Amino acid sequence: MLTSSPISSLPKPLSLIAEVTHRCPLHCLYCSNPLELKRAEDELPTADWKRVFEQAASLGILHLHLTGGEPLARKDLAELIDTAHRAGLYVNMITSGVGLTRERLGELVEAGLEHLQLSFQDLDETTANHIAGTRAHAIKLALVPVLKEFPLAFTVNLVVHRMNLDRLESFIGLAEELEPDRLEIAHVQYYGWALKNRSLLMPTQEQVDRSLPVIEAAKARLKGKIHLESVFPDYFGSFPKACVGGWGRQMMLIDPTGQALPCHSAAIIPGLRFDKVQDHDLGWIWESSAAFQRFRGDSWMPETCLACPRKEKDFGGCRCQAFLLTGDAQAIDPVCRYSPDHHLLTELRLPSDDVLPIWRG
Amino acid sequence: MQLNDTPRLAPGCRLHPTESVLLIPEGALNLRGPAREILQQLDGKRTVEDVVQELLKQYAGAPADDIRKDVVDLLERMQGHGVVRA
Repeated sequence: MLTSSPISSLPKPLSLIAEVTHRCPLHCLYCSNPLELKRAEDELPTADWKRVFEQAASLGILHLHLTGGEPLARKDLAELIDTAHRAGLYVNMITSGVGLTRERLGELVEAGLEHLQLSFQDLDETTANHIAGTRAHAIKLALVPVLKEFPLAFTVNLVVHRMNLDRLESFIGLAEELEPDRLEIAHVQYYGWALKNRSLLMPTQEQVDRSLPVIEAAKARLKGKIHLESVFPDYFGSFPKACVGGWGRQMMLIDPTGQALPCHSAAIIPGLRFDKVQDHDLGWIWESSAAFQRFRGDSWMPETCLACPRKEKDFGGCRCQAFLLTGDAQAIDPVCRYSPDHHLLTELRLPSDDVLPIWRG
Repeated sequence: MQLNDTPRLAPGCRLHPTESVLLIPEGALNLRGPAREILQQLDGKRTVEDVVQELLKQYAGAPADDIRKDVVDLLERMQGHGVVRA
């Protein structure tokens, strides 16, 4: 992967996540989008997105990740992709596939879409639809052969949690039959809506332990055919993840209304003010926006982190998680074994069986 | 990777137009030395040996066996990343 700059110097952003809309036909139990979704009438207009993509390319950003909500809900999607591609960005799209016809996909690929990611909620239709809160599973399966008609990289993303982790082997089997170029096994991240369903979705220690050799075996079996990437569930770890590659270090996210955020859920942290792409260009935001400065580098770190050599690897972990679990965004990420709050995770990992799912409206 | 294999870049992988970077889904790989020159020759028709011969023209005097080993090593590493297909 790309070499990193020292933690203290101003790094160069590599990827831009564009949440072009929060509208979505799915209502996944594990949705990590904010509790308060942005409304369609507040969405950034076409011209603003196009300008943002051009600015991103001149800043040296390599990747654009179109996501949402469901990016297909934007009627101007092909036009946005065309602009991004012409500016030199590599265009990825994360989609539910709902409503994606062969004709529309053709337009998007023609415009410059290079990689499409489709996630699956389970291998069995009934449970998959239950988790997605809508009947999307069959639609996704039917889309796969259509994707193969186009020169497009295709990733299958399996979202795993307590309700499906015991079936991981067959779940991977389903993914193999779909013959993607890449396969991602992603544990639910407990932010946004997913946090509401945490006690329902949190796997048990036994499930996690059993899943690891299954994943290793699949990696070995698929080597050279399907590239498998898996993300270890950080609630079960001893050291934090390098969340978003470090705050204000590699990526920026633009929400549907044009606010620039250093990560997916930064808006939950009290006191952060986000600048808008309508008011500033991306280069200014990257360098000077207070929200991007807030946890950049190591000057904000508690003494334990400051003195820890791991700070060059995990950049102090996840600020949102620190806030969600301890109430202090500046605290040591509780995933870290050196956090005085590490015991909180032991308690959160204990599943409770009598909880009911909550779907977002 | 065999010398008569005809590798190509995996779908969705392409060289950055100007920099020594291979763009791949969700990421990028920094390329060093002649890696870019090797990867840009891959088209699913040229064999690994063809690529070696082409490099030998550019690096006249370099021992062929060393180049052969470097090319195969690079391609196998890239195959391991899932960005090159034999």
